[in-house]
Amino acid sequence: MAGRPTDDAELFSRAQRGEAAAYEEIVQRYQQVAFRTAYVITGSAAEAEDAAQDGFVKAYRALASFRPGAEPRPWLLRIVANEARNRVRSSGRRHQLELRLAERFRPGGAAPSPEAAAVAAEDSRRLLSLVNELSDEDRLVIASRYLLELSGEETAAALGIPEGTVKSRLFRALARLRSRVEETAGA
Amino acid sequence: MPELIELEQQLNRLGAQLDWPATPNLASAIRLRIGARPRWWFENRWAMAAAAAILVVAALVAYPPSRAAIADWIDVHTRFKIVPHLSTPTPLPPGPLGRRLGLGQQTTLAQVRSTLKWQVLVPASLGQPDEVYLQPPPDAPSDGEVTLVYASRQGIPAAGETGVGVLITEARGSINSEFFGKMLGPGTTIEPVNIEGGSGYWIAGAPHAFVFVDRAGEVRYETLRLATNTLLVNKGGTVIRIEGNLTKAQALEMAASLA
Repeated sequence: MAGRPTDDAELFSRAQRGEAAAYEEIVQRYQQVAFRTAYVITGSAAEAEDAAQDGFVKAYRALASFRPGAEPRPWLLRIVANEARNRVRSSGRRHQLELRLAERFRPGGAAPSPEAAAVAAEDSRRLLSLVNELSDEDRLVIASRYLLELSGEETAAALGIPEGTVKSRLFRALARLRSRVEETAGA
Repeated sequence: MPELIELEQQLNRLGAQLDWPATPNLASAIRLRIGARPRWWFENRWAMAAAAAILVVAALVAYPPSRAAIADWIDVHTRFKIVPHLSTPTPLPPGPLGRRLGLGQQTTLAQVRSTLKWQVLVPASLGQPDEVYLQPPPDAPSDGEVTLVYASRQGIPAAGETGVGVLITEARGSINSEFFGKMLGPGTTIEPVNIEGGSGYWIAGAPHAFVFVDRAGEVRYETLRLATNTLLVNKGGTVIRIEGNLTKAQALEMAASLA
């Protein structure tokens, strides 16, 4: 399969045989989702960087536990998120996570009018401020599942809870967010 | 619930519009760190070879007839005059056996039994441990982790150069065989075994790490300290691991006598 990027299974088996370069490629491939997950948990970019770095080092040492053919993301995220949670726990406080909109985002849809774009931007801003006001637990599950677009399994790994619990927690968090959306829309 | 689905879609769109902090490039820092994996000194073959060489030279030097011959051979006469007496070094420095194994703070059985809310089990077949350590969180689960250290004794040789015969480590949680079944390296075998009042796995070979799920539901990766045959036991909500140069029968006898 020339020209195709090396697949995860091959990278992992090379890394398991001790090939450091293969592991570096794994890090490159997953550092963004790992860092952002740690950021959502810790609320601090510096803590997230340390947690992601420690997590990847631990994952390297635990490579033997990675089953060939398994999905790497939940496996890695579980380890990195565990590091991030340990940091929050040992420092005794969680930084207030403040998610912000990018300056020059373009709302979805084909070439919307400037007016439509402004309305969409305002909607996004309002929704984001409601997400920021949620409880830590609600914000964490919503941010993981929707903002980071993790799968159910990955969200469970990131939160360190069973997948079934993700579903019920997500449902309750969404219901609370929706009622806040309705309240503020009516206000 | 259509409103919820719409809200989910809005949230997905919102994710794409966020201003995330820039992802740092972790690869170079990680390259440095995995290149320099900290090892126990006895894991390092060069340190072992050096320790063995020192031992041999010291033993020969301690024996007067060979002293002059060696002095000629390696040409260190002056040094011999400055240090006329060399006691035979031992590969094991004095002090607690478990000190270099990263087991936490040294304590006593009475102390851990009075402070921990869960019952620490001791194998009656081995009796009172020689040393007891308590690892507090975050390096251990929230309920702590206790290690009992037994010195080598007749029938139980020391593991490597540690001087330790048996290590018994206990923490609240459960074994998830699905996880650690994946961790077995070549030359390591795993076998489910029956333990009275619990379940267990006998791992023969040299396992280096294992995984269990603590009471908070978190998966914990732990390094096995001795890299010897290991018996893992799930009993009454506690995960107990018994490490040592043990036969399966010896380990099972210890597990059966846990109380």
